[in-house]
This record gives sequence, C-alpha cells and structure tokens, in this order.
Amino acid sequence: MIARIIIDLFLLLGCFFAFAGVVGLIRMPDSFTRMQSSTNIATLGVLWTVLGVAIYAFMNNNIAFGIKVILIGVFVVITSAISGHAILRGAYKHGIRPDNLVVDEYRRDNPDE
Amino acid sequence: MKKTSSIIATFILCYLFWILFTLTFTAQELIAGAIVSLLVALFAEKYLIHEDAFHLLKPNVLLNFITYVLFVFPVELWKANVDVAKRALSPNLPINPGIVKVPVDLQSEYGLAMLANSITLTPGTITMEIVEEDGQHFYYIHWIDVASKDPKEAGNIIKGKLENWIRRIWK
Amino acid sequence: MIEFVYVGIFYALLALMLLYRVLKGPSVVDRAVAADSIDILTVVALIVFSIFSNRSIYLDIALVLAILGFLGTVLIARYLEGRL
Repeated sequence: MIARIIIDLFLLLGCFFAFAGVVGLIRMPDSFTRMQSSTNIATLGVLWTVLGVAIYAFMNNNIAFGIKVILIGVFVVITSAISGHAILRGAYKHGIRPDNLVVDEYRRDNPDE
Repeated sequence: MKKTSSIIATFILCYLFWILFTLTFTAQELIAGAIVSLLVALFAEKYLIHEDAFHLLKPNVLLNFITYVLFVFPVELWKANVDVAKRALSPNLPINPGIVKVPVDLQSEYGLAMLANSITLTPGTITMEIVEEDGQHFYYIHWIDVASKDPKEAGNIIKGKLENWIRRIWK
Repeated sequence: MIEFVYVGIFYALLALMLLYRVLKGPSVVDRAVAADSIDILTVVALIVFSIFSNRSIYLDIALVLAILGFLGTVLIARYLEGRL
C-alpha cells in the first residue's frame, strides 16, 4: 500500500514536469526559450515516471524489465542533451536571431556569421 | 599497446550493455554478444577513446564519479527544473534571455564534454559552442535569465559547483 | 495498477497538444523541437503501457523509437548548420 502511494507520487511528479514543459513550449515567445522548456520534458518528465515504473517492476520480481526501463530512461536523457546542443547551434548558424536577447556575445565575437 | 587497451575498454562497455539489455544467461546469447561487441569495438574504438582508457576505473575517481552522477547532479537538476517550470507556468512569463561567454578551467576533452552536457541538461542553460583562445577554453551559453553580464560571476552562477566536482574526476 | 493507463493517456494528450506547435511553429526549428518532444512523450507512454499489459515487446519498440528520434533531430540540426 505504501509502495503504491510512492509510485503514484512519482508518476504525478513526472506528469507535472511534462505538463510544465509542454505549456512552456506552447507559450514561450521565441525559438531559443522554447528549446529550454523542451529540456524540462526530456529530463524530469521522463526520469520520475521511469523511476516509478522501475520500482513497480522490481517489486513484482521483474528485474529484467526494471533494468531495461531504467536504461531506456538514461538513454533518452543523455541523447536529449546532445540533440539540444546540436539544434541550438544549427538554429543560430541558420540565421534565427530572436530580437529579445539581452546580451549576445557570440555575435560580438563572430560578427560575420 | 594504447590501441589494444582502448579496444578492450570499448568491448567491456558494449558487452555490459548487451548483458543488461538481454539479461538471459544462456551460452548462445553470451557468445553472440561477445562476437558482436568485439566487431563493434574493432571498428568504433577510435571514435570513443581518445585518452587513457581505464582512467575511470581508479578507485577515488570512480567514487567521485558515482557521487556526482547519483547525488550532486540530480540536486542541481531538480532546482533548475523547478525554476523553469515556475517560469513557464507563471502568468506574466518572466524571462530575460541572452547568450553569455564564460571561461572554463578544464583541460581534458572528456571533462569539457561532460560539463557541457551537464549544463545543457539543466533546464535554463544550453551550451552553444566551445572555443579555445590561447590555452583557455570558453563556453558560449544561452541562458534564460541573465543575472549577470560579467563572465566570472555568470560562470559561478551557472556551473560553480558542477565544475569543482568534474575537476576531481577529469583533470 | 490502473494508474498506468491514466498516465499513458495523459502523456498522449500532451503529445496531441504539441501538434499545435508543429502545425503553427514560425520556423523549422520550432517544428523540429516540438516533434522531438512528441517522440519522447510517445516513448514514455509506450513504457507505461508495456508495464500495464506486462509485455516487454513494447519496450523494444520504445527503444527503437528513442534512437530514431534522436538521429532525426541531429540530422536536421546538421542540415541547418550547413555541414551535411
């Protein structure tokens, strides 16, 4: 019973962070801040839910299932870091410049790109 | 010699992941996994290992690494996630974005990559590019709330604790 | 546990909400980021559904989907950068 409450709490936290990320992705005013919100989905929105599922699997003596689920979660988190990094640089070099930047030191150092 | 040790390290990594994904200990599966991992290690070691292959297995380095992954980094991740979630859900959207340039005191290639990925994973900051200017490395970071335009102070706010821990793992 | 089904449906609804950003997004980067997020939400929904129905075949599909989404996003990024 206690374990069930803990798992529900984990799932609820995962749902909350995924929801916050989606709302941010829809509401934010420019492309770069939208990317920041999408990191929210890919980190804690995935990790809490995956942890909840893994705890349930371990409790039912389903070890293989739990390890596989955790590996998929870690994989998603690590690859989301790399793809976020790549797509931000791609967007900047493609010529997307939001007009609400307070300070832009990359442009100051590389004015011709 | 260096090539052999990096092939062995890649083979161990691939085989570990094979065992974790299948988790069946019959002889057929184990032999097939060993062959596939060996092939992958032969072709992929030059992309994966650039420095000392078994550096991470030294006891104090391994201890620091585990502490960083399991305790230090998740706390920072939680703080940054709550901060960005608050910004996204609050009615007037308090954002103040900008791209800042911060200096980094790390030399190792792995350390630079690990710190850049840690910064990208915490919501609110994304690393854009790593440049080197006469021996000193710099990150360009897109930051959702620019609290300070001074490079040193901005660096302290973004990566102060993380960088100290990573310097204990990679030089 | 019935909660897993609710969580899966919630994640699917969030993915549907993101279709707005995919359709409207002013630039190609917004579409790419929103599509990547839809991919991640689908992976989590598949994981949750697989533990509910107790069939681990869905986990393999989730893994393949995660790898394909990552490759697609990196490919789009490389293309935008002009290095492909």
